[in-house]
Amino acid sequence: MSKRLSVIAVLAGHTLRDAIRNKVLYVLLMFALLMIGMGMLLATLSYVERDRILQDVALSSIRLFGAAIAIFIGVGLVHREIDRRTIFTILSKPVSRADFLVGKYLGLVATLWLMLAAMSIGFVGVSLVADAPIGPSTFAALGAVGLELAVLVAIATLFSCFATPFLAGCYSLGFYLIGHITRDLRAIGEASDSEMMRTATAWLHRILPDLESFNWTIEAVHQLPISTSEFAWAAVMGVAWCVAFLTVASLVFERRDLR
Amino acid sequence: MVVDETPIVSIENLVKDFRPGFGLRRKRVLDGISFEVRRGEVFGFIGPNGAGKTTTLKVLMGLIRPTSGGARILGHDISEVGFRRHVGFLPEGPYFYDFLTGRETLDFYSRLCAVPKPERGRRVEELLHKVGLEDAADLRLRAYSKGMLQRVGIAQTLVHDPEIVFLDEPMSGLDPVGRKEIRDLIAGLHSGGKTVFMNTHILSDVELICDRIAIIANGRIVHEADAAALHAATGGEVDISVIGLDVGIAEGLERDFDVQMEGRGERIEIRLASKHVDEVIGRIVGGGGHIRAVAQVGGGLEDLFIETIGANRQQAAR
Repeated sequence: MSKRLSVIAVLAGHTLRDAIRNKVLYVLLMFALLMIGMGMLLATLSYVERDRILQDVALSSIRLFGAAIAIFIGVGLVHREIDRRTIFTILSKPVSRADFLVGKYLGLVATLWLMLAAMSIGFVGVSLVADAPIGPSTFAALGAVGLELAVLVAIATLFSCFATPFLAGCYSLGFYLIGHITRDLRAIGEASDSEMMRTATAWLHRILPDLESFNWTIEAVHQLPISTSEFAWAAVMGVAWCVAFLTVASLVFERRDLR
Repeated sequence: MVVDETPIVSIENLVKDFRPGFGLRRKRVLDGISFEVRRGEVFGFIGPNGAGKTTTLKVLMGLIRPTSGGARILGHDISEVGFRRHVGFLPEGPYFYDFLTGRETLDFYSRLCAVPKPERGRRVEELLHKVGLEDAADLRLRAYSKGMLQRVGIAQTLVHDPEIVFLDEPMSGLDPVGRKEIRDLIAGLHSGGKTVFMNTHILSDVELICDRIAIIANGRIVHEADAAALHAATGGEVDISVIGLDVGIAEGLERDFDVQMEGRGERIEIRLASKHVDEVIGRIVGGGGHIRAVAQVGGGLEDLFIETIGANRQQAAR
């Protein structure tokens, strides 16, 4: 077991090292920081609730650019290794395919969390300059973004196991968008007269990850309290979704011929 | 190096079908191949392009799942992972992470193989020396030539001191000097007791270093032979150039081995069937003659290969 953990750690560290050399990530990060800064500019256009506008724009930028980076790096996870033929020398060593996926995945999550940390520093900096409130809710909301990105990169990892990066990107984006509206779909279904509609939307909400459960922008902007149990539940949900997607990804990847 | 008769690799009735595209008919790439590799030998797996050599290797390495049949390496089913601690693999035209240096690359692979920390550094330095990359050890791989990458490939194959190494076209794309270096490395592995399984279509290298061969064509094993049987089967001739050959010995050679002799001044050219070469050389040297050159004339593995592949193609066309 310790040997497996050590292999996973080696692969995760290596993936992190590989990913942070990707210049496209820095471009995306620059844009994200620019958008966070733009929040200040947009806030000046309003006479009221400037703090709210500033933090709303900045947090949304973090979530959107974080999602873009997660999908961008996640969809190429397997394809890039096969394309570069680096996977052959790794999997011919005592490394199982599941350990390979988990190691690569953890490396990407670490990369994303580093990016998120950089964006969070930008957010806190801008908030301090604008004298906008920063409190526990702010950090809970940023932590929830980290969980959402971990789920998203697990989704992208799953699709990268059998699809080209372009298709995997489309599928992941579709999951991301649906993941943010399953609650609304369920609400629409509940209001419907059709029993079939009610059942279908309820099941959709159950089957697909509810990514809105990681969206605490409103709580952060208005400094509304977020209880520990609420955060713990979101964390449990996030980890469960990651495990579920990675398990399916491993099963798919296990059957794949690496030609 | 003495070859042990125990099979270290045994392949049984291995079949692999690929579907070229969605909705298209399956194509059989490996059609029930079976053979064994013995411990301590250099085994040459040869065949034309597209015959199924690389697919066989990838199946053995667990990169491709067999459609049916199976194989065992060191007594373990190839679907297992743990035994790969004792197996090394060099893919064709190996690619590595070019942001790493040669030393970092070997360190990375040694960590994957769980080489104990105290041993790791020593092993990496030893291999860098063995493959002649000490001076380039701290250069990033993107600055390496093809030959240097091939040597890094060989080094990562050996980083965990495996019992058997699988090499896919190890001499492909190398210049004569590079080929000689890799050939010497393989000979060194052999004398160090390692088993080597080599995919190649460079037949002169096979003749020089392999103990046994198998020829694959259209996904089927069409010929298997060990070095001695190979030489006997190829039926080629050998020219030996000698000086100072005693007349009595020369007459004895003509009588006993049906050799043809031609005098060129002091030098005598002797042509004989390759199967007698050891005995004839023994008599010449024993009789005080000096051998100046020995050269294969026709026959050899190339003729056998072309003959075997040709026969297989004709059979397939019928």
